[in-house]
Order: sequence, then structure tokens, then C-alpha cells
Amino acid sequence: MTATDSIAETLDHLVADATDHHYSPYTRFDWVDELADEQWWMSPDLLSVAGTALGERLGTERLMALSKWECVNFFSLNIHGIRELLMEVTRRIHTPGFEVPSEFFHRFLGEENGHMWFFAQFCLRYAGKIYPDRTLRIGDDSQDPQVASFLVFARILIFEEIVDHFNIRMGRDETLHPLMVDINRAHHDDEWRHIVMGRKLVEHLYRPLVERGDAELLDRLDTYLRRYMTGSIQSLYNPAAYRDAGLADPYGLRNEVLADPARVARHEAFLKRITRFLLSSKIITRPPFATEQPREST
Amino acid sequence: MIDEVRSWLLARNDGVTDIGLDEDLIDSRLIDSLGFPEFLLFLEELAGRELDLGQESVVAFRTLRGIRDRVLAGAGR
Ligand SMILES: [Fe+2]
Ligand SMILES: [Fe+2]
Repeated sequence: MTATDSIAETLDHLVADATDHHYSPYTRFDWVDELADEQWWMSPDLLSVAGTALGERLGTERLMALSKWECVNFFSLNIHGIRELLMEVTRRIHTPGFEVPSEFFHRFLGEENGHMWFFAQFCLRYAGKIYPDRTLRIGDDSQDPQVASFLVFARILIFEEIVDHFNIRMGRDETLHPLMVDINRAHHDDEWRHIVMGRKLVEHLYRPLVERGDAELLDRLDTYLRRYMTGSIQSLYNPAAYRDAGLADPYGLRNEVLADPARVARHEAFLKRITRFLLSSKIITRPPFATEQPREST
Repeated sequence: MIDEVRSWLLARNDGVTDIGLDEDLIDSRLIDSLGFPEFLLFLEELAGRELDLGQESVVAFRTLRGIRDRVLAGAGR
């Protein structure tokens, strides 16, 4: 990577900030012995049924039960997302092309290892399980190292931006248990640095691909990333969470809420920041849900 | 039941008119990594049980025959 001065400067700031705010994840939180089922484990407006006809039908008690399992699903998705990111960044640190961000990668890897630990700790302590990873990396990673690296950091950024939307909301939601607030806040406090770096890196890795003048390639990346965003949103709707919350016909329920028109605006909100970034850097040409759910003029 | 799987795949792959029982769904790009999670949930719904990727051999998901004989086998419907 022939880093521009601006990237090096940003990374210096981020490394300094990470050093200033360094903490041990193992002593950072007050793990309570138990968390009661009858409470909001997640801000109700972030639930997958929020705003839907079905969400209206469920009483508060059921919604609270669902909030527990959707919180566990959200943390489980984080755990699996972090696994991929740890592997991919580890593969690249201190290799040719990644000399400049490698110092920051050390902070990033250390922080993500901590995040994975506290998300897993929460799931195992209070729910006794982590939902399994449903993704399968099958043969679509490019053989072209420049393309592969661009996609890796673009995926990481998309994932972190969506997660951050949830963390910001719950880190300020005083109706949640202090532990829930604290975990979301602690995660956000680290993630903003990852997102700042991610944006710089994604733009930087995209530039040489644009310079190739291969429209077919750019089109393929555009489609891939929009599908990745859609898929990330769909992973928030987990039939196993519906089942664990005691809801009948979890698959039918999933199809119903996913198709509920009230969800369109929520999906847009979850993806707002990352969509704006990818559109303005011309990496995607339209919002991810644009074809699947064309919006009628109101 | 395997016809429902075939229809699901055909509906998501423009221009494909048929899928052989032994056609490799991944090599032929009928399924890719981004489409896999939704496919898995669809199969779970058909199978009436949760499918565990760690235990189910991924090979079983590669062809309609594998899905019929190993993933959906025993699913009553
Ligand atoms: Fe993280
Ligand atoms: Fe991160």
C-alpha cells in the first residue's frame, strides 16, 4: 500500500487514542450473577418485529422474552463476525502492502479479541449458549489479492457500521440494565476508531480497482456489497431466537416480519451511514434494498 | 419435496431452466456464500429441524441428490 500522508496521519491519531483508552476487557465489567427474563434486553425499537403487525399482537411479556434472544443473536453475530475479521486481518498484518496500517492492526486485533470475549461471556453466562454461525465461505473469495483485500475490509466496515447503529442506541438507553448499556457503550467507544480506519482503508483499496478501468469488475463488486448488506440485515431475523422466545411457527413468522412494509424504513435506518458512505465514494450505485423493495412515492 | 428446493433455486437464478440431481450447486453458482444462509433457512423449514453446519456435511448441500437423501431424508410432509 502506497499510503498517502493523510492515512498515515489518521492512523497515528487512532493509535494514540487506542493507547489512551486501553483497558482490560477481563476487569472492565460488573458481571451480575443473574439477569431477569422480565426486562428489556434490547431496546424495543431495535427488535426485528418492531413496527410490524405481528409486533403489535405480541404483549410486553413476549416482546421482552424476544428481546433476550435477539440480544443473544446480536451478540452471537458479533462473535462470528469478529472471528472472520480476526482471521483476515491477521493474514495481512506485516505483509507487503499493509506496512502502514499494521501498527493500528495490533490495536484492532487486541480490541476485537476483547470484544469477542465479552460478547461470548454475556451469551454463555446469561443464556447458556451462542447461536451457531450460519454463513459458509464457499468459493466466492476472489483469487485476485487486490480484490480480495478490498472485499475483506468492505465487509468488515459494513458489519461494524450496522453493529454501531445498535450500540449507539442501546448505549444511551437508560431503560436497559446497566450491564447491557455498559457493553454497548464500551463496544461503541472502540468501534468508532475501527470505522474511521475502515473508511480510509476501503477508499484506498478501491482506488486501484477503479484505475483498472474494468467496468464489469466494479459492477460485480457493487452487486456483491449490496447483497452483503441485505444479507447482514436478514441475519438479524433468526428463527432460532423466535423459537427460544416461545413463538410458534418461527420460519413463517420470519417470512412475515421480513416482508412487513414497516421494516423498510428500519432497514434503511440500520444501513443509513454505511449506505451514504458507499454511495458517496461511488462504490455502490444505489441503496441495497432499492431493487427488492422499490419505494412508492408517498 | 426436492421439487420445492429446485423451484426455490430456479426462482433465484434467472435464465436457468432446470437443475440436475447431481449438478454441483456451488460450482454452477446456483448458490454462493451470500445466498447460502437464506437457502439454509429454507431447507430447515422444509426439513422441520435445525440444521447444524458443523455436523451436517457441507458436501450434502452441494447437490439436489445430497439434499434429498441426507438433509431432507426423514422429513415428514
Ligand atoms: Fe468489535
Ligand atoms: Fe471493530
